[in-house]
Amino acid sequence: MTCIIVGGGIAGFQAAMTCRAVWPDRAVTLIDAEKETGYYRTLLPQFMVGALPEEKLFFKKGENDPLLTVRSGVRVRSLDRKSRSLTLDSGETLCYDRLILAHGGESYLPGILAGPPCRGIFPVRDLTTARKTQAWLADHRRVVVFGGSLVGVKTAAHLRQAGFEVSLVVRRGHILLRALSPESAEVVEAHLRRLGIEICVNAPLEEIRKINGAIDALKAGGRRLPCNTILVAAGTIPDTSFLEGTGLLTDGELVVSQALQTIDPRIFAAGDVAVISSRGEKARPNTWPQAVSQGKLAAENLYRSTPMPHGDLTRINAMELHGLAMVILGPPVSGAEVISHARPEASVRRELFLVDGRAVGGALIGDITAAGTLHALINAERPLTARDAELLRPRTENVIRFPEQTGRRHALILSPKRSSL
Amino acid sequence: MKVIGVHMDRCTGCKTCELYCGAERGSEGKTLLAAVQETPFPQPRIRVEGGPEGAFPLQCRHCLQAPCLDACLTGALRREEKSGMVIIQEDRCIGCWTCTAFCPYGVIYPSPERKIAVKCDRCLYMEKPVCVDVCPTRALEVVELEGIEELLREKRQKTTKAMAEMGNEGIRLLDLGR
Ligand SMILES: Cc1cc2nc3c(=O)[nH]c(=O)nc-3n(C[C@H](O)[C@H](O)[C@H](O)COP(=O)(O)OP(=O)(O)OC[C@H]3O[C@@H](n4cnc5c(N)ncnc54)[C@H](O)[C@@H]3O)c2cc1C
Ligand code: SF4
Ligand code: SF4
Repeated sequence: MTCIIVGGGIAGFQAAMTCRAVWPDRAVTLIDAEKETGYYRTLLPQFMVGALPEEKLFFKKGENDPLLTVRSGVRVRSLDRKSRSLTLDSGETLCYDRLILAHGGESYLPGILAGPPCRGIFPVRDLTTARKTQAWLADHRRVVVFGGSLVGVKTAAHLRQAGFEVSLVVRRGHILLRALSPESAEVVEAHLRRLGIEICVNAPLEEIRKINGAIDALKAGGRRLPCNTILVAAGTIPDTSFLEGTGLLTDGELVVSQALQTIDPRIFAAGDVAVISSRGEKARPNTWPQAVSQGKLAAENLYRSTPMPHGDLTRINAMELHGLAMVILGPPVSGAEVISHARPEASVRRELFLVDGRAVGGALIGDITAAGTLHALINAERPLTARDAELLRPRTENVIRFPEQTGRRHALILSPKRSSL
Repeated sequence: MKVIGVHMDRCTGCKTCELYCGAERGSEGKTLLAAVQETPFPQPRIRVEGGPEGAFPLQCRHCLQAPCLDACLTGALRREEKSGMVIIQEDRCIGCWTCTAFCPYGVIYPSPERKIAVKCDRCLYMEKPVCVDVCPTRALEVVELEGIEELLREKRQKTTKAMAEMGNEGIRLLDLGR
């Protein structure tokens, strides 16, 4: 009997490695649909535009462990909880003793883009596609990035930095709709425009035009945008089709407890596929750090008599957009009080969202000082004190400023117990 | 595992450790004089927080369960096996700042100019950490984690002795929670 892990993204691999470390006599089989596994998905934009060599994409995956089997290029087709078995698309059946579902999400392709094949349209999600994208981009320089998600924004910035002509097309009123307040989004949008990215908001997709089977233009929000590449970053949806009828789904979602356990105590979930039910609310963090920590916890909990809950379900995301640093501490909450510090001339906006006097989210744009401390503050779930609020005031000087006058410098610098300077 | 311990009672908030860490570990010139002339300004990996009443030098604690390690998007942050230190492999760091948002102590610093994050590595490849070396009051000390119990025991004994010498005074102070 072995522990089976479905999905070889970071959540799956982290779970596999942790399981081998924590439960050393249990064998682990990891199954992944992609041919290639064990890479940093987050680095795909840099790789696609040629800014990162391919070898930097991969991480170590316990190659020499006889009790760890990695099966790539095979997809799980069905799950039978009664016989505790999985069926693969090869027809093979595998039995498990414990199961971790970590099969992430698939790119969401809006209707027209999902339609009949058209050259030059690529989702931003996996390595196989990223390789094709890289090859295509070599002689196609006019790119539309469709989707104002974090992945879309990141991809657009890296493309622009690499010299591509880039338009970022967003269905709704501003970029990063689910992550930032309109005010913060405005600061980021202004920066992206300064980089030379054209941003089209309120632009739902209407039409695409093909020439010889390849994309030639896109019409969105009444505007026609000539382009020879469309990169789609309109979010992800987990593929839960093989779990239908197993009783594990609630409204089509794989909902787990805070200990990442499904209603079947032998089955756990981690990473982008997991919807975590916590205090009556559903958390879908969908970030890399969460996939890592959830993968770890799911594996630790596998054989525990009392599984431990996940302690940090915040949705923290950080980015460097070529000259503008930002940290998202948690999405805006309707009805929340907002405290902020803004210096528009320096592209700085730092804000916190408060509910019942406690910080529940926020964003730091242009100055990310104290990001870690503010994150800890959100986790502490205590009322914000005046001193805590001080943290919002930026301290841009994160380098030492030496005093100007020579005399004073000496007085400050010389330490009495050190003879040489 | 060796870590840098702090004698809080001895720190006067003079920031000597900050200055020397910045110059020695963050600058090209490696001297204070050269460091002041460099752009970008050298960054220290230790910061002295708080005023004269309660100054405290803060640097990476090399947590046993380090949230920053789980957060790194590229594998640049890793635990050096022999020493147990949490270090950044600079050639892998892309400066995405995710780790800086995960350290609850706020001791990983972005270096936008160098496009990498910087943090204390306990001067792993040097004989002794710079901060420990330069602290004028010996407020910083390298201690073997296993030896910490012994150190704390000594401290407790000293306190007990001091209290005994002071008669009731010390006990009263403790009662007041000052
Ligand atoms: C381009 C890009 C940039 C990103 N940047 C950031 C960032 O800067 N910061 C951040 O926090 N997050 C970022 N993310 C999000 C982050 O990468 C994801 O949250 C994380 O990778 C999720 O990991 P996972 O293991 O849960 O799922 P995935 O990485 O999606 O892995 C799931 C795996 O399961 C496999 N699978 C699916 N179905 C089956 C099946 N039926 N049978 C077998 N195998 C199956 C898939 O092939 C896939 O390999 C980014 C994502 C992308 C795409
Ligand atoms: S950087 Fe922060 S979280 Fe990471 S090991 Fe050091 S103190 Fe811990
Ligand atoms: S800034 Fe560097 S060390 Fe920190 S998470 Fe990003 S890649 Fe890792």
